[in-house]
Amino acid sequence: MRKIQSSLNASSAEFRRNAAHNRRLAAEFRARQEAARHVRPARDLERIAKQGKMRPRERIEKLLDPGTPFLELSSLAANMAYGGEAPSASCIAGIGIVSGKETMIRADDCTVKGGAWYPLTVKKIVRALDIAIENRLPVIHLCDSAGGFLPLQAQLFPDKQMGGRVFRNQSILSKLGVKQLSLVFGHCTAGGAYIPALSDYNVIVRGTGAVFLGGPPLVRAATGEEVSVEDLGGADMHTSVSGVCDYPAANEEEAILIGREIARLWREPTKIAWRPEPAEDPAYDPEELYGILPDDVKKQFDMREVIARIVDGSRFHEYQPNYGATLICGFANIWGFKVGILANNGVLFNDSSLKGAHFIELCNQNETPLLFLQNITGYMVGREYERKGITKDGAKMIMAQSCSRVPKFTIMCNGSFGAGNYGMCGRAFDGRFLFSWPNHQIGVMGGEQAANVLAEVKVNQMKRSGEAIDRALIEQVREQTLAAYQEQLSAYYSTSELWDDGIIDPVDTRNALGVAISASLNAPLGDLGYGVFRF
Amino acid sequence: MALKLTFAGRVHILEIVRRRPHLVVSIDGREHEIAATGDGGDGRHTLEIAGEALHVARAQVGERQVVRLRGRTHEIGLIDPRSEIAETGAGNDEVKAPMPGRVVSVHKSAGDAVLRGEAVATIESMKLQMALVAPRDGRLAAILRGEGDSVDKDETVARLEALTSED
Repeated sequence: MRKIQSSLNASSAEFRRNAAHNRRLAAEFRARQEAARHVRPARDLERIAKQGKMRPRERIEKLLDPGTPFLELSSLAANMAYGGEAPSASCIAGIGIVSGKETMIRADDCTVKGGAWYPLTVKKIVRALDIAIENRLPVIHLCDSAGGFLPLQAQLFPDKQMGGRVFRNQSILSKLGVKQLSLVFGHCTAGGAYIPALSDYNVIVRGTGAVFLGGPPLVRAATGEEVSVEDLGGADMHTSVSGVCDYPAANEEEAILIGREIARLWREPTKIAWRPEPAEDPAYDPEELYGILPDDVKKQFDMREVIARIVDGSRFHEYQPNYGATLICGFANIWGFKVGILANNGVLFNDSSLKGAHFIELCNQNETPLLFLQNITGYMVGREYERKGITKDGAKMIMAQSCSRVPKFTIMCNGSFGAGNYGMCGRAFDGRFLFSWPNHQIGVMGGEQAANVLAEVKVNQMKRSGEAIDRALIEQVREQTLAAYQEQLSAYYSTSELWDDGIIDPVDTRNALGVAISASLNAPLGDLGYGVFRF
Repeated sequence: MALKLTFAGRVHILEIVRRRPHLVVSIDGREHEIAATGDGGDGRHTLEIAGEALHVARAQVGERQVVRLRGRTHEIGLIDPRSEIAETGAGNDEVKAPMPGRVVSVHKSAGDAVLRGEAVATIESMKLQMALVAPRDGRLAAILRGEGDSVDKDETVARLEALTSED
């Protein structure tokens, strides 16, 4: 594979303007992430210290092998929900190395409302376990939760993807032979009690850990029985009488050490396509990504320059370089793992869609994971393109992509609008991981387009009813739409709702993908085959 | 396939003639029988060429290959055969619209000098603004579309002066 020849001019005014803009966005992201991770009311932190508990992030740090990476997922989940009172959706999820094993680590955050589960907490936990299922990753649960956040129970308990799904996913993991371990640091109440119970192994801390379907107040209300926490569901009762828990631990530190010993016992994974080549840093500095990304979502940039700052040695074998040029396809390595890259370099035309579908089939046949780099405003519209069947060519790309057997990864590099999101493996298409950059915007159409469409609808209404056209009112419709879109189009809204697996700083993309690709190779490939292509 | 590399400022062509029973390498058309004895893992090698021992140390520094031979350090450059094949110049005089749309601004005038990659005009379509850039260094002969004009896919928006022999 040959090195991409960058034609970037790092001293141009445009580069400097872009770099200033995108560095500001990255700094804002870092600040928000830092706050979500560490800023808590002093009252809560004091209570935890008094109970002799560690903060959830300290627990994770002690659990991980020293000096190994931890890929945190959805660190800004719920950042725009519940008035911001559930940072990171009051739980932590991420992939890390414990006793040499790649594991999904999932921790309740007892520093937020006693670790109560909000609707988005449940969504994040279910997603973490989906990732564990799809990638056959063992799971370590760090349990310390008061249970469901009762005022919002209707949004977290009854539906298919809600509370019950956590336990369904745990059962499926077990059936697949994927190990789970629970470390019970605090209370596991009601549904939460099933987390340690459905784990292959669990450890419970004496004094602070407790597991029960109903806590003492509920028992008193239900039957009048007076019982202490320890007696009802403490470490000694569960490890010596009920058999709900396996190992008692004197304190949190010991629980973590027992957990590390257990992980040591798990079998080594067998990975598919496990032939990594030696990794090589990109030849071009990833920091230059800040100057490549535009300062306005509308402005086009050359995605080859992005590829050159993510892949090994900036080497890229481009497939069909002159056909369907608005979709770049080609092969590269990331941390030594071969990937097939599809990257938008403009609107999708008939030829670019066909090329995409063709390339996806190639990668499925030679077992090459797919990486989608999205910056897409859609498939081309207009009379000429409809007559050429743009819809059936787009459908071929969606069909090939949906039925893929190889792992898929998506990076939201800039815009993601309309059906282009589908063809390029948007959230609905079961990619193994999807990350967004801070400048990312997503929606069925852009804010300006929606504002114009709705303003036009208003004008037509006025015309039909014979009213005089009220310009001020129309302007108001336009501005309201624009403002509403502005909020919902942003990467922060997207990540708040868990439409992705987290925002990442563009310069961290290569490392995030390295962890993600390595994790994905634990699961066997699906079957080769597609539905009916419309020709 | 023959390898082409530079050593001490000269280009050499290497070809492996056969590997068994002895390694025979042709360097610039002359065949040599070579036996390699051990790499201590520290980059040092001993080669035996026509019965004579030759001590070499080799290191890779980034993309560069460096060897130390008879008290001197040399850099070896590997010539990528594809890079040698010059890109064809076809169509390089024209600045074309990659998608149908509307010209939102024209940044240059006919007669202006432009560098490769410099924006000549910007078009907008499907919510996307795309800068149309000069395909090579040169001088603009004509700008064929103005602000507000619509353009078709692959339509020529500007043309560079043809290269003359003095360029």
